[in-house]
This record gives sequence, C-alpha cells and structure tokens, in this order.
Amino acid sequence: MDQSKDFHSNHSNHSKKLLEQVGTFVRRNETYYKKEFSKIQKSVDFPFSWNTAAALLGPFWNASRGLWGSFWCFLLLELFVAVQMGRVLWHESETTNQTLFILIFLLLLTIKIWEGFFANILYEKRYLSWLIDPDRVSSGQKMSRAALGGLFFLCLYPMTIFRFAVTNPDEILSRWTHGFLGDKIPITLPPFKREFFSVLAKWADGVFEWLAVNWNGLFEGITAAIISVLGGLEAILIQTPWPVTLFLILILAFQLAGRRVALFTGGCLIYLLLMGLWEMSMMTVALIGTGSALCILIGIPIGVALGRNSKANALAGPILDFMQTMPAFVYLIPIIAFFGTGKPPGVLATIIFAIPPIIRLTALGIRNVPGPTKEAARAFGCSEWQLLKDVEIPLAMPSIMTGVNQTILMSLSMVVIASLIGAEGLGALILESLQYAAKGQGLLAGLAILFCAMTIDRITQGPYRK
Amino acid sequence: MDRSKRQASGFLARVMKDHRKNDNDGNKEKTIVLKEVWKVFGPRCKEAAEAAKRDALTKEEVFHRFGCTVGLADCSFDVFPGETFCIMGLSGSGKSTLVRHINRLIEPTSGRILVLGKDILDIGKEELRAMRSHHIGMVFQHMELLPHCSVRDNVSLPLRWRGESRALCWETAQRCLDSVGLENEGERFPHELSGGMKQRVGIARALAADPDILLMDEPFSALDPLIRTQLQDDFIKLSIALKKTTVFITHDFSEAIRLGDRIAVMKDGRVVQIGTPEDIVINPINSYVKEFVEKISKIKLMSARSIMKDISKYPPSFYGGTINLSPRVPFNTYIDRLIDIASETDAPIIVCDEEKKDVGVIDKTILLKSIQRS
Repeated sequence: MDQSKDFHSNHSNHSKKLLEQVGTFVRRNETYYKKEFSKIQKSVDFPFSWNTAAALLGPFWNASRGLWGSFWCFLLLELFVAVQMGRVLWHESETTNQTLFILIFLLLLTIKIWEGFFANILYEKRYLSWLIDPDRVSSGQKMSRAALGGLFFLCLYPMTIFRFAVTNPDEILSRWTHGFLGDKIPITLPPFKREFFSVLAKWADGVFEWLAVNWNGLFEGITAAIISVLGGLEAILIQTPWPVTLFLILILAFQLAGRRVALFTGGCLIYLLLMGLWEMSMMTVALIGTGSALCILIGIPIGVALGRNSKANALAGPILDFMQTMPAFVYLIPIIAFFGTGKPPGVLATIIFAIPPIIRLTALGIRNVPGPTKEAARAFGCSEWQLLKDVEIPLAMPSIMTGVNQTILMSLSMVVIASLIGAEGLGALILESLQYAAKGQGLLAGLAILFCAMTIDRITQGPYRK
Repeated sequence: MDRSKRQASGFLARVMKDHRKNDNDGNKEKTIVLKEVWKVFGPRCKEAAEAAKRDALTKEEVFHRFGCTVGLADCSFDVFPGETFCIMGLSGSGKSTLVRHINRLIEPTSGRILVLGKDILDIGKEELRAMRSHHIGMVFQHMELLPHCSVRDNVSLPLRWRGESRALCWETAQRCLDSVGLENEGERFPHELSGGMKQRVGIARALAADPDILLMDEPFSALDPLIRTQLQDDFIKLSIALKKTTVFITHDFSEAIRLGDRIAVMKDGRVVQIGTPEDIVINPINSYVKEFVEKISKIKLMSARSIMKDISKYPPSFYGGTINLSPRVPFNTYIDRLIDIASETDAPIIVCDEEKKDVGVIDKTILLKSIQRS
C-alpha cells in the first residue's frame, strides 16, 4: 500500500516538474497554459482544451508561435473556404445561392472549431520538444513570425481567390494595368509556349546529324560486334534442324539445372511447336540471348569496378538511373539515327535498358563483401587479383546471379519495343496483335514469350541453384 | 582431460618454457621490434601525432584540438623468438590496432616496425605479400573462413596464393588439420562446424604456411568458456611443439597469465607495463594493473624464488639435523606445487638454483603467509 502511495506522489511531483518551465516557454498567459497543459497531460482520450484566440486568429496564431506545420494546414484550408466564398460573392453571371452561402459558412465554422481544439494540443507537443532542446526549438510569440505568416497570406489569397472568382482573370488584370504588360497577363496559364523548346530541338537535330556522319565508324563497329554474336546464336537456334535444337536444349537444361527444369523446358518447347511459333521464338531467343550475353559480358566488369571504387559508384548512380527510367522510345530515336532499323539496333536498345540491373547488383554484391573477410585474405598475402577471384566474386555471387536473372527478364520485356524498329520474332507478332486488336493472338504470343523467359531463367540459374 | 591433469600440463609447459627462454639469454635476435609507434585516426592525423608527442597530450585533448582519435600512443616493445607475447587490455585500449601493425594491415602514423630484421614500412608491395604469405600467420576473433570453400581449401588458401602445387597444398592442409584434431573434417564446410571447430580451422590455416610468427587476435573470445579452456590447452601444447613466436591478443587477464611468457598491459593506446606473468602479478606498476591482478588467484603464478627466505639468514645449527630430510625444489616451482610437497612432510622445503646449490628456505609459516597474500 505504502509503495503505491509513493509511486503516485512521485508521479504528481514529476508532472509538476514537467510544467515548471511553461512560463519561460509561453512568455504570456502562463497560468492559462499551465492549466491547459496539465489537463492535456492528464487526459486519456481526446483532451477538450479550447483556445479562443487560436480559433479567431487561425493560422496567424500558429505562425506567431512558430508552429509552421499547423499554420500551413489551416492557411490552405481557409484558402479553400475563401475561394468558395469569392466564387459565390463575386461571380458575375451566377445568381447568389443562399444554401451554398450557408454551407460555406458552416465549413468555415468547422475549420475554426478544429483550430480552436487542436491549438493547445500542438502547443503542448511543441513545449515538450522545447524542453529537450531549448536552443533549437522555437518558443514564445514573435510578431516577426506572424508578419511572415501575413506575407504568405498575401502571396496566396488575392491571386487565387481572384482567379477562381472571375471568368477571365487574365484579361481583367490586363485591363486594370492599362495593357502595360500586354493584353493578357498570364496567371491562369504559364507564360512560355514552346519557343525556346523548338530552338533547342532544332539544334539537337543538328548535333545528331553531325554525329551520325562523323562517328559512323564507331557505330558500324558496334553493329558488327552485335551481328557476330547474333549471327552465331541464330545459326545454332534457327538454321540447325529443329529436332537437333530441341534435343540440345533439353540436354542443356538437364545438365545445368536437373530433371524438373528439363521437363519444364520440354513442356514449353512442345507448346511452341504446337502453336507453330518455333521459328519466331528462336528468333526472339537469339535476340534476347545476344542482348543478355553482351549485358553480362560488359556489365559484370563495370559492376566490379564500381563496387570497389565508391567515388565512381556515386557518379554512375544517376547515369544508371537515367538508363532505367528513360522511356525506351526516347532512346530509340537516336538509335535509329545512328544504326538504322533491323535487329542490331533492337539488341542495342535491349542492352541499354537491361544493363543497369546487372551493373548495380554486381556493385552491390562486391560492396557487401564483409571487410574483415577481405582483411583476413590480405593478411595471408593475396594479391588484388586473387582477392577478387577467390574472395570477392564468390561472396558476391548471390547478388550477381540476381543481377543476371533481372537482366534476362528485362531483356525479354523489351522484345515488343525492339520489334517496333524492325526486329523480328514474337515481338513482331504481339505488335501485330496490338495493331489489329487481336486479343487471343496477343495472349498466346505473350504466353510464348513468358515461357521463353522462364526457360532461359531456370536454365541459367540452374548450376547456381543446385 | 580432467582438471588436475590439465593443471599439471599447464605447469609443466610453463616450466619447460622458462628453461627454454633462459637458454636463449645470451643470443637474442628479436623477432619483432616496435619503436615509438603512433596511430592516430582522422584527417589531421600526422599533425595530431606530432603535437601529442611534443606536448604529451591525452586522448581527450587530441580529440578536442584536432578531432582525431588516438589509437596507439608511443608503443615500443620487442618480441623474442619462440616466446608467446600476450597483449592484454580492455576494449578500446588499442590492442587489435597494434597487432594489425605487425603485418601492416594498418599503416602507422609514425614509428618504426621491424619484423624478422626487416623494416616493414620500407619494403615494397611484393615483398610485403611474400612476408605475409611465408612468415606471418594470423588467427581472427571471428574466424573469417571463406564460406564457399571446404575446410581443407580454407586451410590451404595461403599456400595456393603463394603458388604451391596442388599436391603440396593437400598434404600440408591434411597435416595441419591433424595437428588441431580435425583429421576427418577436411571435406566439410564452415557452416557445418561449431565455433570451436571453426577456430581450430583458423589456427590450422595460420599454421599451414609454416610461418615464423603467429598473430592471434582474441582467437578464443568468441567461444564459450569450456571450449575456450580446451583450446587454450591445445594452443599451449602446439606452441611448445612448434616453437613459433606468437603475439596473442586478449582482454582476459587470466588467459594472458595462463598462456603468456611475457605480457604487455595496454590502456588507451599506451603500453602500461611489460613483464613476465610473475613480474606483473608481484609488482603491478599502477592501480590499473593492480585491479586486474587482484581478481585472479596467484598460487599458480608465484614461484618459490619470490617467497623464499635466503638460506644465509638461517643459523649454522640449521645445517645439522633435519636438513638432509628436507625436500628440495627448483626455484621456479609454483606455490601450488609447494603446497602438495609441504602437505607430505613436516620438514621445511629447501630451494635450489640451477646449479643445485641450496639458496633458500620455505617453512610452513612462509608458505601460509604467501597463500594469504595471493
């Protein structure tokens, strides 16, 4: 019994202590706030603490006390009400609607009541943070803050109310300024049309044309590289007799990934055969295969380099973001300008879109190799290359394989876009379905692409997952 | 093995080690030499180190003036061939930082470090690599085994990186695994092993390259107490058999006393006291060291030499009578053993030096009072 009495008396001592500095915090009306804060701290549900000044002065009560969050909330709510009021009062053509007027007034009243009841609660919260850090947290009331609030008010209210209240704000404004700034002051719509835009676009056209001519060698070189890989894959997949290809793929699946995956692959291949989509699928696979292979070949070394060098990694971040978020159609345009149409540009577009995951995930994997493990390796006298080969890459493998998986899947998602610029295969079939709104055809072709994707993914992940 | 046998083997080991050390007295080629090594972390580290040296600043003063943390302050010590040199200190005392200077995993801000006679701050990258893979082995607190390699591959790593043939790697790895008691675990993977077994693999790996120096960074701290004692015993046996120079880091004073031939106590980056376990226990240099000493039992550390009464102080009549019945003990016998001897006879114990000359006497009063003091 005694213990619980002590506990409770300590409790009330504690809350008395908590309220000691209210006076310093509020500067005025100390007794009132002490009472209200005490009420708030003792309450369990919503503390009904009414503050008339807060209700009347609204946002400015909050502003002067540095409660900017609630200032903005209430300012914008009241702006909404003011705009509605303006529309009803000043609208030239519509007749004044009594009911509307009363509704708006009720809305204002609701907002004011809200302001009145929330004021002290927010103020008390601010008091508690001020207790912890009196130098950083604002206290007291300052006219300068209220004046700042007033400035915001003036910036927002007149223009907004005016714009919503009258029908032709631009013209009326210009009439008032006697045509000083032209016959239409643009506050409804932004002032600039596409004048600068056209000029810049023309200049960019010129740059592209210059590049297409002068860097032709580079572009042809890239095209040649892509064609060589693509050609090889096509020869294996398309020109070889289909039973041989079927058999080889099944053996590959079985060796690399086991019986289940081989069965799954068999199922997918049978689907493609029955639907007569074999040749198209093989074209798509050749395309995707080339794209993915080149992505992995180029991407992993870049990822490793970025993983080891944090400065380069920071620089590369925005570039990779750019490559991933830019709509593919955007970089299709320069690709067509430099590479023409057909399969190589399709592969290139796929590479640009699909390479960021493998670069990022490789870099992440390398970065996440634990420091102490690398230190231990160095303590046993490994060279930098041995560190990379025997420690960093094996430990980064989970991440790298995730990157490979993501790259393959993203390559596949590019098939339709690649077909837009002339790549043949299932993408072209889907494009056709889109153009003719052939739903069934589109679904079946889509399924074929899905099966290709899953098969390639399961086979390539096979040795790792086993 | 049971407790008494373990104690006996520890004691025996210590006696053997003492003898060995004394043999080397004349011709000491120091294996590791550290001279005035400073390590300061932070952007203005060189400046801070200079100032700290000049003006004898404390760690806090350096932090306030330069915003740099002092890791090591003016550390100097030597390690002799074949000895186990324990560096003991609390967290933040700089002991892990210190051991990483010996194989230059961390670069000192200033000072000289000589390993096997070579200034390791002066040698090139390739020579440093050769030094690490041929002459220095390291054991880590959290083992740091490669999870994708088998136990055998982990152990033979230093050899593979050195370019040895596969056959030699296999053979040596198996031999090292045998010496730590893991003969049949070669094909297992680290995640299948317990903590104690993993650390044995770590020790095997450190021994694989047959290095001259072993650096052990709190190797047993992450293990549970029973396994820890077991591994300490195994380590003692190994280090006698292999005669390697070992620098052993620990935060456990009783572990340092048990394993070390000499101990360096560190505090806030400074070496506070260096000495044999006995020296430190009998003459702690300040209250900090005294605090550690007070917490352990000293009857296994104080030797007959430190408690005996000089025989010249006894009257000649003492030489008559019972003297020939008295048991004789070498002067490095520990109190522990003296209690066993004293409990079997009423005669006082005579203490002899290396030449078997009688030099001191321990009677029951002296023995009991020294136990009281410990």
